[in-house]
Amino acid sequence: MDQSSDITICLQQWKKGNEDAAEELVRHLYPFISRIVRTHLPRRDHEEDLIQEILMKTFSRLHQYKGDAPLSHWVSRLALTTCLDRLRAQKIRPEIRWADLSPEDQDVFDASWLEGSSPDASEAIQARDLLDKILSTLSPEDRSLILMTDLEGQSMEEISIATGWGISKIKMRLFRIRTQLRKTMQNLKERL
Amino acid sequence: MKMKEDEKWQSLLLSSAPTFVGDTTLPYGFLTSTLARLKEEKKEREQLEKIGLRALIASMVVLVVTVGVTLSLKFQNQSDLEPGIRSLIQVENVSLS
Repeated sequence: MDQSSDITICLQQWKKGNEDAAEELVRHLYPFISRIVRTHLPRRDHEEDLIQEILMKTFSRLHQYKGDAPLSHWVSRLALTTCLDRLRAQKIRPEIRWADLSPEDQDVFDASWLEGSSPDASEAIQARDLLDKILSTLSPEDRSLILMTDLEGQSMEEISIATGWGISKIKMRLFRIRTQLRKTMQNLKERL
Repeated sequence: MKMKEDEKWQSLLLSSAPTFVGDTTLPYGFLTSTLARLKEEKKEREQLEKIGLRALIASMVVLVVTVGVTLSLKFQNQSDLEPGIRSLIQVENVSLS
C-alpha cells in the first residue's frame, strides 16, 4: 500500500472519530511539514513550535479538505501561509553591505569551497547563515518564491498550486527578485 | 550566459542545501505533546459548540415568547377602544361588529 492511500485511510478514520488515526497522521505529515518549515524560515527559528502550530491548524481545518487534490498540496499551502505569517513579523533589511557581514560571513563569501566542492556540515551551516542574511533583504513572499525555484527546483505550476498565484505573476516576481539578488551579490563582491 | 553573481548565488545555495533537509523522525516527546494539545483543543471546541447550542435554544425560546406576547397584545388591542370613542359609539348607537 502506498503512502497516499495510507493517509487517505487515516483521514477517513480521523473524520469518523478514531483518535488513534491522529497519531498516524502526525507521523505521516511531520517530515513533510518539517521540510517546508526548514526551507522557508531562517535557521534558529522555533521549528518544533511552528510544526506543531501547522499540525493544529491542519487538524482543526481538516473538515474543509474536500479530497479533490492530494492532501500534501492542501497541507503545503497551509504550512507555507503559516511560515509567511511568521516571516512577516520579522524585520526586512533594506539592503545588505559588506560591512554588515561578520568576519565569518565574509570568509564564507570568499571561500573556495563555495566553488564546486562539497562542503562539510559546519561549512554548510556557515553558508546558510550568510544565505539567511542575504534573504533577509527580500519580502517573505519573494524569499519563499526564490527558494522554491532555485533550491527545491519546483515548476511554475507547482508554485502556482502552493501559492495560489498566476504563472505570469510568478515570472514577473522572479525577474525582479533575480535583479535584486544580482545587485546584492555584486555589492558584496565589490566590498561595497 | 550566466552572470558571475548568479553563479555565486547558486553555489551559496548548493553549499547550504544540507541545512534545508527536513527531519524524518519525530523529536522526543513531540507526538505526545501534539496529541495532548489536539485532545485539549477538541474538548474546548466541543464545549464551545455545547455553549453555542444552548445559547441558540435559549434565544429561540425568548423569540417565541416575545412573538406570542406581541401577538396576544395586538389582538387584545383591536377590541380595546378608548373610553371617549366607546361613549361616542354608544351615543350614535353604532353597532359594533
